Amino acid sequence: MPQHLKRLISFFAILLILFLIMRQVLIPKSFGQLGHYRADAISENQVRELHYAGSENCTKCHDSIHIEKDEGYHKQLKCEVCHGPGLKHTQYADKFKDGHLPDSLLLHKPIERKECALCHQKNAARTKILFDTIDNTMIVQIDAMKHKLLNKKTKEEQKCIKCHNPHQP
Amino acid sequence: MEPHLQNLYEVLSKVDGYVYPNEIELNWSILIVLYPYITGLVAGAFILASLERIFKLHILKPTYGLALLTAFSFMLVATMPLISHLGKPLRAYEIMITPHSSSAMAIFGFVYLWYLMVVLLLEIWFDYRCDMIIWANETKGFKRFLYRALSLWTTDISPKAVALDNKIGYIITVIGVPSAFLLHGYVGFIFGSIKANPWWSTVLMPVIFLFSAMVSGIALVMFIYIILNKIRKISVDMACLDTIAKYLFYILIIDFTLEGLDQIHRIYEAEESFEVLHMLVFGRLFFTLFIMQGLFGTVIPLITLAILQFYKPKVQIRKIIYFIIATLILIGIFFMRWNVVIGGQLFSKSFYGYTSFKIGLIGAEGYLMAAVWIIVPFLILTFLLWLLPPWKKKEDEIQVI
Amino acid sequence: MKNNKSNLSRRDFFKNGAIIVGGIAVASAITTFDSVLFALEPPKGKGKWYGIGIDINKCIGCGKCANACKLENNVPKEPFYFRSWVEQYTIKNDGTIKVESPNGGIDGFQQSIPDEEIFKSFFVPKMCNHCAKSPCTQVCPVGATFETPEGIVLVDPNYCIGCRYCVQACPYGCRYVHPDTGTVDKCTLCIHRLKKGLQPACFEICPTEARIFGDLNDLESKINYFLKNHTCMVIKPHLNTGSKLFYNALSSEVR
Repeated sequence: MPQHLKRLISFFAILLILFLIMRQVLIPKSFGQLGHYRADAISENQVRELHYAGSENCTKCHDSIHIEKDEGYHKQLKCEVCHGPGLKHTQYADKFKDGHLPDSLLLHKPIERKECALCHQKNAARTKILFDTIDNTMIVQIDAMKHKLLNKKTKEEQKCIKCHNPHQP
Repeated sequence: MEPHLQNLYEVLSKVDGYVYPNEIELNWSILIVLYPYITGLVAGAFILASLERIFKLHILKPTYGLALLTAFSFMLVATMPLISHLGKPLRAYEIMITPHSSSAMAIFGFVYLWYLMVVLLLEIWFDYRCDMIIWANETKGFKRFLYRALSLWTTDISPKAVALDNKIGYIITVIGVPSAFLLHGYVGFIFGSIKANPWWSTVLMPVIFLFSAMVSGIALVMFIYIILNKIRKISVDMACLDTIAKYLFYILIIDFTLEGLDQIHRIYEAEESFEVLHMLVFGRLFFTLFIMQGLFGTVIPLITLAILQFYKPKVQIRKIIYFIIATLILIGIFFMRWNVVIGGQLFSKSFYGYTSFKIGLIGAEGYLMAAVWIIVPFLILTFLLWLLPPWKKKEDEIQVI
Repeated sequence: MKNNKSNLSRRDFFKNGAIIVGGIAVASAITTFDSVLFALEPPKGKGKWYGIGIDINKCIGCGKCANACKLENNVPKEPFYFRSWVEQYTIKNDGTIKVESPNGGIDGFQQSIPDEEIFKSFFVPKMCNHCAKSPCTQVCPVGATFETPEGIVLVDPNYCIGCRYCVQACPYGCRYVHPDTGTVDKCTLCIHRLKKGLQPACFEICPTEARIFGDLNDLESKINYFLKNHTCMVIKPHLNTGSKLFYNALSSEVR
């Protein structure tokens, strides 16, 4: 074989070997254990921070509200549907026995009309909805920006919770 | 507000109908338009070079070396738009170390390397090795060192060794042609294999990409050849140019036919996605598809080239016409890539609406970045032409075989 | 042994045609009848294999699921990034279809068409279909997105190069590039919650229990009960993605 071909082939051989070495060094440890991916990625995806506690954790302290809610039409609503994610609240609330929680731990109280309207605003897509879980009732719908908007006496805008107890509407 | 988000809010206000919320943002922008464009130029330029070598069209000899060097300089840049658009560019090496065998993009990495290292680099090396050894003796200093290093410090310029170089070079060209087909067919497959996108998902996509690549690559060599001779103040070889134009004409016909076939098939089958695509091409894509790609990029060059097959005006006028046609085709094929890449993202996969496209001048995905990747190959080519001028090569080397 | 038996009874069950679930278009060969449900061979092994059910009849379009998803998973607040969102389809009397999803449904829906023009209207919650033959994992060049043995399609944010090929390949528009990280992000079926024995946030929060998920390998699971008792369909069955998100009462307008 002529000299220049030998040079060329060794040049390519060196490149190839370098590539293979690099490859060995760079391939992540758990790659290929379960398939063509890093198996560790599954556990890494599992270690993220949680935000929603689950209603079982709420009833541990707020037992009475749970009982109250259980008798009304909102019985299948979990607490966090309206009050937002409460894991931090459930974890740290009992550290403040006097009941004065810092603002960061307080949960949202949905008292605005638009918040009730998320579910109860009249909408053509809601009219035919039946709930076999709650005695085949239709969801109550109103026009949230009209329905008893103003207080008859004071003529001021009134909130839904003025008349409706959200835990037992 | 961040400019990126500000941009998105502006796009949101221009959304027509319904698009999935995640579709408002166009994920593949101008850089991904450039990627198949540049790769296509490479494949086309190489195929032009191989016409000379394999099919023994010696009339094309003045452009052989130029076409090879053009292909090489564009190939060096071909992946850069792709890499610079990545969210994590520093992780790009992962494509090489853990390529996913079912991904068209992963296999592209190897097709690319094969083509760059084995086809282009080797062909140029065998082509220039002898010359580099000779030039090394004629020059001094750094240039001499470069020649020495590039020829891997070999010294053998005996007729036997040169004949061997030529033979291997020929074999590489023979391997190179299917490789060029593979390279650009593969780019087409990257789009054609996406079943979620009816604008892309057609079995003809790789073939269309291949032929449009040839068209653009040939036009590019034509363009550079005319400019280069202007700069070097030597006259253009009109016989060569006429032949290139002839081949350009033939391939343009095939390209036009294939694209027409694709559209006719689409119209005739009129599948679920037909309405949304119909409104797309007559709406947001009208200018780039019918005017830029269709009229300026295809119809005008096609008619002009057809006329030139029968009627040949004076050399000076013909040269200007060729230059204009080459430019038009280069622009037209750019917009063909644009229509595929951008067009395929303008409509929602729900087929209920359209988003719109807006890019800025600066930023990682702006016009300036795109301009950089268009200009860099020309700079590389200038350097290569200085280092390895094809016109200074010893004559009748290639014709040995 | 026990597992074998249940597999067998399961297959008989299918052959008896008790369930006809989405993807009918792809069930061309009788030997792959199982694949009507799975759109591929049933998974080997005894582990869990998650599927999702959504009952369109029960969805009231409150958008709580989309909101909960954003809060639980730190999804950017801007209306261009959603792992889960709700669409309202309105079919008018003149036959035209209007689809809308203002801010993914998080801020609620305002009826935009007067009642008398409406033929019918309904909400469709959307999320990752966790396809068994997912086109998105197929195209990932580096193996940064994959299906876990439990049938959840995940992204490896520490390995993703951000090429966005998967975003293009997903027929359902369920992926986006996270603006802060430059990597692709998508629904994980709240795998971090599943690990703790909790439900994914959108399932936890749904006020009407329109969303159901469970182990497809467990015949007693909620999801299998749901599939048995409803006429279910997947979105875009012709694409044969092996979608494991089954809708009850899915209209053909939904895409």
